[in-house]
Amino acid sequence: MWLPAMFLIFGVLLGLMTNITVPDAYANYLSIAVLAALDTLFGGIRAQAERKFDQKIFVTGFFFNISLAAFLAFLGVQLGIDLYLAAIFAFGVRLFHNIAMIRRIYIEKWEKRKIKQEK
Amino acid sequence: MKKVRGLQRKNKLLIGLVCLCTGFMLAIQFQSNQTPQERDTRDLWEIRTQLQQEQRQQQQLYQEISQVKNVLDEYEAQSEPAQMKALNQSIQELEIKAGMTEKSGPGVIIKIDQLFMDIEGPQSSPVLTPDLLHHLINELNQFGASDLAIEGQRMIDITPIRLVNDRIYVNNHPLPGLPVEIYVLANNAERLIDYIEVSNSNDYFAIENLKISTEESSQIELPAYDGILNLQGINVNAQYEVGDE
Repeated sequence: MWLPAMFLIFGVLLGLMTNITVPDAYANYLSIAVLAALDTLFGGIRAQAERKFDQKIFVTGFFFNISLAAFLAFLGVQLGIDLYLAAIFAFGVRLFHNIAMIRRIYIEKWEKRKIKQEK
Repeated sequence: MKKVRGLQRKNKLLIGLVCLCTGFMLAIQFQSNQTPQERDTRDLWEIRTQLQQEQRQQQQLYQEISQVKNVLDEYEAQSEPAQMKALNQSIQELEIKAGMTEKSGPGVIIKIDQLFMDIEGPQSSPVLTPDLLHHLINELNQFGASDLAIEGQRMIDITPIRLVNDRIYVNNHPLPGLPVEIYVLANNAERLIDYIEVSNSNDYFAIENLKISTEESSQIELPAYDGILNLQGINVNAQYEVGDE
């Protein structure tokens, strides 16, 4: 559990220290990619909690979601439709859903443990 | 058992890498959204000119304040009839300034007429456009004209020149056809004529088959503006140019 957290912090530090910025024109793509990454991450945590985590699905989901989101944003720009909103909506809904599921699972686990202790 | 542990380690490493990517992207996104601080990038000269400008403005404002104060002192110091007199005088001064009175003096008569009378082909009369007139009037003001009248219509600060139904309206009165005469008061009429003769307006008018001819006159009478001064909707237009801020 500590390893991913450490890597996350390390990644944030690396990003802050390299001082890279994205031009305004590409800000949409990056924002959607970040959302996709977060979605995949929480999806992975949920799968882990449900004990059906699959590494292949996780890794492919990560890259596939990000590229799909970026492609959707690109297509939207070409067509003049704000298609990235669709991606943001989908990822946002899934993010909330995943976090809600994680919360439920952990509450259930905690309650089970409590009942066991009382017994 | 060992194999499972190896897989788990690989798992963790992969998740870690994904986390690393996510963190990296998050940081970049965060940084990109951080608006850079606005810095004062003016150099010494720009600051100096700005300072000078502000000082000039300050000077001007002080001057205006002292003038107005003088007028106020006059009002207060005088008896009632004298006050009325001073007030009337102020009103007269303001009316002269606004172009509400007749004015005469030396100046230039500008005549706008057809350039070529006998152009072959289908006969067409040249058309004066408001743009051309605007351009000419701007140039005249720039060259030192103090007061203007177009075909008996006194130009004041808010005189509109509009195109309505293919006719030019000045002060909401239609201009007659060519030739059009513009009366210009100027302290230095000769110089104004020189300026007009070399100005761009000649070329612009020539493109439309129009000609500007000038004539100096020692005594020109301009009519008063006879419309209603409607100052509603007039605001101070504070314009900022690029580099002002």
